[in-house]
Amino acid sequence: MSVSIPANPEDAGREKRPMEDYKNPHLDPSDTEQLLKYPVQDDALSRQWDDPEPTLIGRLSALQNDTIGKRLIFTAFGFFVLGGINALLMRIQLAKAENTFLSPDAYNQFFTMHGSTMMFLFAVPIIEGFAIMLLPFLLGNREMPFPRLGVFSFWVFLFGGLLFYASFLFDAVPENGWFAYVPLAGPRYSPGIAMDFWLLALGVAEVSAIAAGIEIIISILNMRAPGMSLSRMPLFAWAMLVTAFSILFAFTPLFVASMLMETDRHFGTQFFNTEAGGTPILWQHLFWIFGHPEVYIQFIPATGIVSMIVPVFSRRPIVGYSLIVVAIVATGFISFGLWAHHMFTVGLPNIAMTFFTAASTMIAIPAGIQVFAWITTIMRGRPRWNTPMLFVMGFLVIFVLGGITGVMVASVPFDSQVHDSYFVVAHFHYVLIGGVTFPLFAAFYYWLPKWNGRLFDEGLGKLHFWLMFIGFNVTFFPMHIVGILGMPRRVYTYPAGIGWEPYNLISTIGAFMIAASVLIFLVNLIRSMQSGAPAGENPWDADSLEWKTITPPMPHNFSVLPIVNSRHPLWEPGGTQGGTESTQKLVNALARWPTSWRAAMVTSTLEGKPLEIFRVTEPSIWPFVSAVGLIIIFGSEIWSLRWVAAIGALIFIASLIGWHWPKTSPTSQDEEDAFAREHGILVRSYGSRTVARNGMMLTLLVFGVGLASLLFSYFYIRLENPVWPPSGFENPAWLLPLIGLGLWLVSLIPSSLSVRAIHDDNQPALRNHLLFSLLLAAMGTGIILYVLLTKNYTVSDHAYASLFIMIEGFLAVLMLGGLGMNLFVQFFARRGLYSSGRYIAVENSALYFTVIAVFGVIILAVLYGVPYLT
Amino acid sequence: MHRRRERLGLVLGWLVLNLFWLGSCLNANVENSFIRTPSMLAPQGPAARHIAGLSWFMIILGTVIFIGVMIYLAYAIWGDRGYDLEEELKRPNEGNGIVLTWGVGFTALILVILFGANIGTMRANNQIADSEQGLVIDVIGRQWWWEVQYGDQGFEIANEIHIPAGQPVTLRLAAKDVIHSFWVPELGGKLDLLPNQVNELTLVADKTGEYWGECAEYCGTQHAKMKLVVIVHSEQQFAAWLEHQQTVPGPPEDELAVEGQQIFLGSACVYCHAIEGTNASGDLGPDLTHVASRRTIGAGILENTTGNLAGWIVDAQAIKPGNHMPPMDLSGEELQAVLAYMKYLE
Repeated sequence: MSVSIPANPEDAGREKRPMEDYKNPHLDPSDTEQLLKYPVQDDALSRQWDDPEPTLIGRLSALQNDTIGKRLIFTAFGFFVLGGINALLMRIQLAKAENTFLSPDAYNQFFTMHGSTMMFLFAVPIIEGFAIMLLPFLLGNREMPFPRLGVFSFWVFLFGGLLFYASFLFDAVPENGWFAYVPLAGPRYSPGIAMDFWLLALGVAEVSAIAAGIEIIISILNMRAPGMSLSRMPLFAWAMLVTAFSILFAFTPLFVASMLMETDRHFGTQFFNTEAGGTPILWQHLFWIFGHPEVYIQFIPATGIVSMIVPVFSRRPIVGYSLIVVAIVATGFISFGLWAHHMFTVGLPNIAMTFFTAASTMIAIPAGIQVFAWITTIMRGRPRWNTPMLFVMGFLVIFVLGGITGVMVASVPFDSQVHDSYFVVAHFHYVLIGGVTFPLFAAFYYWLPKWNGRLFDEGLGKLHFWLMFIGFNVTFFPMHIVGILGMPRRVYTYPAGIGWEPYNLISTIGAFMIAASVLIFLVNLIRSMQSGAPAGENPWDADSLEWKTITPPMPHNFSVLPIVNSRHPLWEPGGTQGGTESTQKLVNALARWPTSWRAAMVTSTLEGKPLEIFRVTEPSIWPFVSAVGLIIIFGSEIWSLRWVAAIGALIFIASLIGWHWPKTSPTSQDEEDAFAREHGILVRSYGSRTVARNGMMLTLLVFGVGLASLLFSYFYIRLENPVWPPSGFENPAWLLPLIGLGLWLVSLIPSSLSVRAIHDDNQPALRNHLLFSLLLAAMGTGIILYVLLTKNYTVSDHAYASLFIMIEGFLAVLMLGGLGMNLFVQFFARRGLYSSGRYIAVENSALYFTVIAVFGVIILAVLYGVPYLT
Repeated sequence: MHRRRERLGLVLGWLVLNLFWLGSCLNANVENSFIRTPSMLAPQGPAARHIAGLSWFMIILGTVIFIGVMIYLAYAIWGDRGYDLEEELKRPNEGNGIVLTWGVGFTALILVILFGANIGTMRANNQIADSEQGLVIDVIGRQWWWEVQYGDQGFEIANEIHIPAGQPVTLRLAAKDVIHSFWVPELGGKLDLLPNQVNELTLVADKTGEYWGECAEYCGTQHAKMKLVVIVHSEQQFAAWLEHQQTVPGPPEDELAVEGQQIFLGSACVYCHAIEGTNASGDLGPDLTHVASRRTIGAGILENTTGNLAGWIVDAQAIKPGNHMPPMDLSGEELQAVLAYMKYLE
């Protein structure tokens, strides 16, 4: 069978480095012990796995997990510094009463930029950066499942952040806070383009977070070392698993909410306009359904970091491993049930507030479990006081206090006083700086030496810690008091003689101490990179797999994948050996074959049994191009330049096609079959079925959460309106859309037959069934589009009309996406690419069709059914 | 030894900071001729008193728990124990009991206690809301001032709320533009003013006096300068005040004030401000019928003196940049006349 795939232009301009570069500089050829450990084929593997020659295109294509991880970490850290500068300017303004250092608008802009930067451009990206850098090492594998998605995520995040700060160049800096309440942020009270910068630039950053979340989940569930069952997984991986799921469930509603507000501003929809049936409280719900889990999205990984560091520096396995896992999972769940505690002063019913109080205080129990587990670990061990451990201690002290004030503000009466006062500012800086930033600094001191190859200076590190710890408390402790004394948040000044002056002055002094401590960190970072002491393989005598690799690690992480049979593989004798003979044979064979493509292993979710050897994608320029396309789409909407957006959309779609362009295998089918037979494992030189299928399911999950957010909006607005459909609207005519959906449903028959055909390797049947399903689905989509475009009302007539058209439009876009996917598969099916051994794209396309059909049924039932139920 | 001292300092520093906090809350009020510190722990009404009681309970309990956890941490760090990694690796579940007892059991116990205290306070405050009430006042949030309507009495004021001591008063809170929040810490918790919903808040003050309030929901450029004063009268004083506010001022007699009235009515002032008994009926700014009797100018920004008023009329933007009052181009004499008229509107 001949397969002819047109070449993908992406390969132009990317060259692998010459082989000589891979004589490992860290290896001493006279040291035989080392040579035994890192055998010769390392060089071939390294060359295969390394990023391309660092030309411009090569750099833009680079996709190594440590490259992308480090880029995310350092870019996010850059935004941390920017956000910190915003904070310093605010503290200067507040140092004395009635100060005129900043104008009111400038102050409002700085607090908006400060909050938005820290929440969207620092905390989440830096955590995802650490996850992408660390997870393949912690889990004992060679790469992340979708390296190109990681690349896309990084560029999208960088562009989004730059676009956000570009608002300074246009003198259009957002000034409605990181929470952007309507109607203040709506078209009437915030005309101009400042809010559009906020919505669209951060919207792009949200896409980046979701993309990285999908990749992190699959990495943890399916790409671990052989033998690493869930119960042996490092706690940081557990934390990231829960976090990544939370990202999907939290960022999606926020993205939907942002788009609703953007259409209110630019397309005349009425979602939040009280004069046309909308309601501003809907924004608050959608925002806090995101906003509260967001806090835990930052905090849970931080606890994961602490759970890695405490045992290493106490020299004792963590106490209550399984209790901590339960606590992490429980935190993730509960965090979605307490958003309304940010809305206690809105005038919610008492019964609702009581429920949210109970849920909010309950989250203290998993926190309590973790705190006592950490302290008990220290008690049962023998602590060492290196800088990472100091930061963890600082975390414990500050976080316990922040947690206690957290339980206090969960009380409705107490919150009715301190809500939106400086007490709350103090509380959440205790949990976000103490609870997140301190562990992140611990992570820098703990893990960066592995990747830089050099240790930090301990003296400077300790100075950094003490200055930061003291500076932090000097800054934020007085804020509790000044809040109790009635100082509200987000005020650019306050009257002299009101009794708040001394506390504010102390806070300002403390803020500069924190800034100085960050400067010390930067000095320490640069010094350690230039002249730090060599870190060696395992400077902390740690227990997890990343410390088993050479320092700095090779591009492929592990030549021989470790076999895990303990929670502490590096502490227990024989911790990375053992396993069955066949597994040992497999990992040894994998160190020698294949060397012509990037092979990683898929393991089963529960037990960590080897399932597949699959090809991880190579470097490509396309993810970068698609990030450019996406930022053009979002950026141009700030100025409503629709034709530019159209160009961006073309670039985006074209680059998606290039990105997913299939490849032929460099190894022969016989070679692969031989390996597969010998080791009893599937060899997929074009990509893993497990990874691809899970990727599709998670993508559909994101769409599903988006749909759920839209339906939540629908029913919320429905309840706000006594008459539905509102007067002036007729009940919707359901026959035509029902026929449209019916055609799509019928298209599922040929679509599922196409899957059977490819399993039977029946090429003509495959082509025919794909074609039938395309034709039927295209007719269905056409009808839905016709119905959508021939309404006798427009989006601006009423919130009802806005909802109807938005949700039906969402369905139409999903359907169009399905048609595109089918065309893509069809194109290659006609060229004979698929076979009974290579069928994932056909399966995924069919899965997508089925799920969209389910969405369609729900959407039409709501849109065309609910108006009849009055 | 050196390390130990460092760690000891850490714990001690924390205890000191806590004492500092408690101490300063007790001495909360800094009296000032114009403003007083609006401390939630210096309650002047039953609602605020209930919350202050709950707050003290939680602050003390929280401090005790914090110190307890820190003592356990200190013990974990310094306590001398035998230690053997090999042994510890064999017993991974050692220590789970402590985690369950304290992390789950003790935490849950505290939460139940706090939940009970919380429900108790909520019920007590709901009872205040349910108690019999006479006066109903509409408070409308605007960018960046408070419109205060005594609908049953038929007049409107701005940026201050007058109530009789000891009697529950119903405030009906709503917003005309964006979301605001009504907060008078000494009298109780805050409640939002929304554009599409009326929230009711019961206000009770124990005794006569002036209580400082502010907008607590960020509402745009001048959110910081959106203050208000609650003025609590004795019953007789309040009746007199009501009567005075209900009277419609007649035409001024003083020559300067007459001229001022003409200037006022002939200028842009009337597009935004209303004065009962004249043609001025604008609704964009505060009602000025009894402006001279008010305590403050510009929503609690300046004391209501002739000099401050002059500054405000001439260039309100310099005092409260971004507010909706444009600068008035008046000559010296014209300004004096307008001021005389304003002063007449007592």
